[in-house]
Amino acid sequence: MIKRIIQYLTPPDKWKFPVIILTGIFVGLGFYVFYIANMPSYLSDNPATCVNCHVMAPQFATWNHSAHREVAVCNDCHVPQDNIFKHYLFKATDGLRHAYMFTFRLEPQVMTIKQAGKDAVQNNCIRCHEHVIYDSKMASTHPMFEANIKDKYCSECHRDTPHGRVKSASSVPDARVPLPPSPVPDWLKRETKKVKTN
Amino acid sequence: MKPISEQIKNKPWLGWAIFLGTIIVVFVLGLFASTVVERRAEAVFAYTPQVEHAQNEPRNEVWGENFPRQFQSYLRTEDTTFVSKHLGSNHRDALGENPRMVVLWAGYAFSWDYNQPKGHAFALEDMYNTLRVGAPIDGKVSNQQNNCWTCKSPDVPRLMEEQGIVEFYKGTWETKGEEIVNYIGCADCHDAKTMNLRISRPALIEAFERQGKDITKASHQEMRSLVCAQCHVEYYFSPHVEEGVGYVTFPWDGGVTAEAMEEYYDNIGFTDFTHALSRAPMIKAQHPDYEVYSTGIHAERGVSCADCHLPYMTEGGQKFTDHHIQSPLNNVANSCQVCHREETATLVKNVYDRQDKVKEIRTQLEDNLVMAHVEAKTAWDKGATEEQMKDILMDIRHAQWRWDYAAAGHGNSFHNPLELSRVISTGMEKSQSARLKLARLLASLGHNEPVAYPDISTKSKAQEYIGLDLRELKENKKEFINTVVPEWLEKAKEREATYTTSMR
Repeated sequence: MIKRIIQYLTPPDKWKFPVIILTGIFVGLGFYVFYIANMPSYLSDNPATCVNCHVMAPQFATWNHSAHREVAVCNDCHVPQDNIFKHYLFKATDGLRHAYMFTFRLEPQVMTIKQAGKDAVQNNCIRCHEHVIYDSKMASTHPMFEANIKDKYCSECHRDTPHGRVKSASSVPDARVPLPPSPVPDWLKRETKKVKTN
Repeated sequence: MKPISEQIKNKPWLGWAIFLGTIIVVFVLGLFASTVVERRAEAVFAYTPQVEHAQNEPRNEVWGENFPRQFQSYLRTEDTTFVSKHLGSNHRDALGENPRMVVLWAGYAFSWDYNQPKGHAFALEDMYNTLRVGAPIDGKVSNQQNNCWTCKSPDVPRLMEEQGIVEFYKGTWETKGEEIVNYIGCADCHDAKTMNLRISRPALIEAFERQGKDITKASHQEMRSLVCAQCHVEYYFSPHVEEGVGYVTFPWDGGVTAEAMEEYYDNIGFTDFTHALSRAPMIKAQHPDYEVYSTGIHAERGVSCADCHLPYMTEGGQKFTDHHIQSPLNNVANSCQVCHREETATLVKNVYDRQDKVKEIRTQLEDNLVMAHVEAKTAWDKGATEEQMKDILMDIRHAQWRWDYAAAGHGNSFHNPLELSRVISTGMEKSQSARLKLARLLASLGHNEPVAYPDISTKSKAQEYIGLDLRELKENKKEFINTVVPEWLEKAKEREATYTTSMR
């Protein structure tokens, strides 16, 4: 069975060499895109990954000066944490949408969260703060409390958490964020500096 | 399924369709790859300075090309419309509002002319205008030295690097007039490459070294106060570094309290001036703002100078540091209400209450000191000897030092009202001690009745009382402003035209 598939895919002898070169080219370009786009970083939870795209600089800066800095990184809030398949599926679909938006330059000046993101964030708020939301003391002194908050997102009242209320992509021009460094290696920079072009 | 090559042979349009499809797919993938690469390149140029300039570039406008928002806000220090109860950004004649100071500084240039400080943009203009630097026209020299320029301009670190620190301090004030033409600015506090805060004046670094502290280890938050502490501090001109040169030094070796500095000065036998009436060996305090602030409650809670005086502001949706250094009373929302959730009127009232109370006891001390000086003069006139007057004069020296420590830092009645009140109280004790001794001395010299408080109700009356005639100086001053200063600025323009900056 497998032998038949391999036989089907194998090019005729005359074509073997060109096919090898062409596939090599494409796979090489693919590896290059992987490298330049920092693809492996997206598997991790490192906050610096989100700053691969500098439109996220204000979000990084505001988070870095917020109460959540020491206890939660970007993915702790923005990616489902309840099971591993949901986790990586969300990252995959989200990543594809990001790639589409950036390729066709559709990113807006004011970014707002989409429904899937809202749900993920809401569930993560509850995940960490469960013990203050479902507090028995609260339930006995304020019995309508749970009913009153059930139809709201946490962020409808806690509006400053953690990214503040100014939503522009250029709201913190002087903030220090870990932008990805130049992909050109230092030795090459030094050599090209020595060459005078004008 | 027939193999694809046969299918294409039969339906050639299929081949073309696959060809087109491949083109489109590769094109889109290529777009994707290129946007990724472009954005990686973008990150390198996140900060692209318009102008590349030297570390000691003294012209603020050049730095302002790279940071227009901060520069524009800094230009607002030219504003003189804000008036608060005791201070503000407008022109206020301190001697006119409180003529007692004329008597307290009799025999010293501060009795000629003393105004409340204005915005940083006026650093040089106010220096040109004050009578205290004299009027160096027609070859006359100023009565101040070049060390007076130290805190007034980013030309100072430039010159210090070119000439050396001691060489910079040497000579009379007018000799460097054409070199120092940019008012306090960017190069005084910022590194040209990274915009990090940095210390540009040696006196602060040396003061830290003598205390055994390493200023290079200061945290970012500490630096937000230390760049101000380069100038907003008590200092004196030490004669011990080189003959004839007043080397700017901070008297912090034993601590920054009024008592510690007083002891320091007494130990080295330092005197700023001899009082014209009482002949007491006086110390002049200069704005011990950092010292008083650093012992106050705001410093204890980790609030830096910049947190209140250069707060963050948002203009057009962009957040940056407001470089309009001014009284926080004119910016309560961004300075105070970041932490204090009270109404503006309440906060302003809280500030005024403290300033009022400190001023109340400070004025009492001033009246007391005036009398101490006048009574001491009376004693001299009645034939007192140096031996008899020695302890009295030391008490007067200490009392006035404490008064000046509290009075010279204009905002300090807010920075630490408790410490100021304490210092004023101890000053009161010293002044009364002097006057008790004087009462006994005067009685023993045959004068057993109160000495009259002089009529010093206005500045001109007070200056007349101490025997000051400033008419000639004021005339010469006008000529100085009209002839010498424009010459300096002209020469500076020629020199600055040779400075190289490169545009990107």
